[in-house]
Amino acid sequence: MAHVHLEDGSFTLFWVLIWSALAAGLVSIALYRQGRGQIPTRKLAIASMCVAVGFAAFQIEIPVFGGVHLNLTPLMGILVGPALGSLSVLTINVFSAAIGHGGWSMIGANTLVNMVEVFLGFYAYRFLRGYAKVERFYSGFGAAAIALTVSALVAVLIVSVSEIQGSTQTRAQTMANMLVLAIANIVMGLFEGVVTGYIVSFLGKVRPDLIGESAPARTEGIEDRLEVAADV
Amino acid sequence: MSRKSYSRHIPDFRLVTHYAESRTSLVHRINPWTKAVLLVFVILFVIIIQDPYLLAILLVATVAFYAAARLPLTLLLGWYSLPVFFVLTLAVLFVFSEPGRQLASFTLLGTRIALTENGALLVVNLLMRALAAVTFSLAFFMTTRYTNIAVIASKSLPKPLDNIFLLSYRFTFETSDEVADVLDAMRSRSGGLVKGVSRQTKMFAGIIGLAFVHAFERAERIAKAMEARGFTGTFPMTEKIPRMSYGDYALIGLVALALAIVAYSRYFNNLIGW
Repeated sequence: MAHVHLEDGSFTLFWVLIWSALAAGLVSIALYRQGRGQIPTRKLAIASMCVAVGFAAFQIEIPVFGGVHLNLTPLMGILVGPALGSLSVLTINVFSAAIGHGGWSMIGANTLVNMVEVFLGFYAYRFLRGYAKVERFYSGFGAAAIALTVSALVAVLIVSVSEIQGSTQTRAQTMANMLVLAIANIVMGLFEGVVTGYIVSFLGKVRPDLIGESAPARTEGIEDRLEVAADV
Repeated sequence: MSRKSYSRHIPDFRLVTHYAESRTSLVHRINPWTKAVLLVFVILFVIIIQDPYLLAILLVATVAFYAAARLPLTLLLGWYSLPVFFVLTLAVLFVFSEPGRQLASFTLLGTRIALTENGALLVVNLLMRALAAVTFSLAFFMTTRYTNIAVIASKSLPKPLDNIFLLSYRFTFETSDEVADVLDAMRSRSGGLVKGVSRQTKMFAGIIGLAFVHAFERAERIAKAMEARGFTGTFPMTEKIPRMSYGDYALIGLVALALAIVAYSRYFNNLIGW
């Protein structure tokens, strides 16, 4: 939920260019990490599917507080990693801008916020699950909650530094106003954390390879086959 | 086109594509590159213009462009709810703390809250900016065929972003349908997304988890199929966009001139009285 839900014209041209340039720099690094454009077909298809599911999830309106939706960006980070996840969130932001879900000129700022979610989602999950050996649910919950809390604050920082075009309020006043929104986003982030925890647990049962864990060896029916082999 | 969207306030990509593919208005026939450049100009106008009257003219112009494409205005009004909601969510944090002449005031929990002239103007300006950009953006996508959007994406985005964009554009329809099917199945069994926090969260997680598993399995199948057909990292473009005509250049030149005047007036010399 924590992205800059601002429409075109909210920032001045200067800040639009600044955030776009920063996002372009980070996307270039992500592209470089993916092999300078030579991305394997499997990864390409997976990233595209992630965009499609992420965009579809954006559209599911949960009828509370006037209608909210989830981002699933930390989950994307857990599933496809920070580099591919960054390219995916940029594409989601382009689709979203096309239909008025955040402005075209906000793609840079939104991509920065979403990249924070993808990066922290990936690394926090890896730390919690890999090093701290925390259960899947709590690892997923913790990773998403950390990522979304930090990104909510980054979103507030971006809006406060840029200031709203046409508003006479200072940066400090803007930040104070935006903190209300940040608190709402953090609460939603905790809810998304629970959803992410459940999804990670679910994936751990049915496709553990998707979350970087080796799949258990398939042993169903092995006894029958051994019996048949003995008969032969 | 037989499928219904599962959200009333978000534009349905299937419907957007349907209007782009099936209509033949004057706007549909404008060169896609010209429309893409005009979209960039509209975004720049929205950022640069500060005068509410000029913003109103811009909004009217974008709605006229949309109407000239013979696209349904009632649909547009419904799809306005998303940007309006975002603007109002933001504005409510600022509108009551802007200094200026008071228009109205009330007391809430012992605190006096006043709506000022500047606060109201801020909301109106933000709304007009948002709606002008959204209207033109929707008009662009509802009048430009997929093959043309594919060419624009492949020429303007770096690799492999263009491939991710094009593939996910296609996958979006299937994934949205799949999620809509699961939601329909849930509703047909008298289920809903509001059934207590724990149950609701598990239900939502199940839907999305399943969508991700299906998506990954489909992605793996598609990747194998693409490689089997000799995919080399570039999607072949079956159609080319024709070169822009003198009329297209004239239109772009005119709009660029207007943009230059507006930009000069704002940043260098106050020509329009701002």
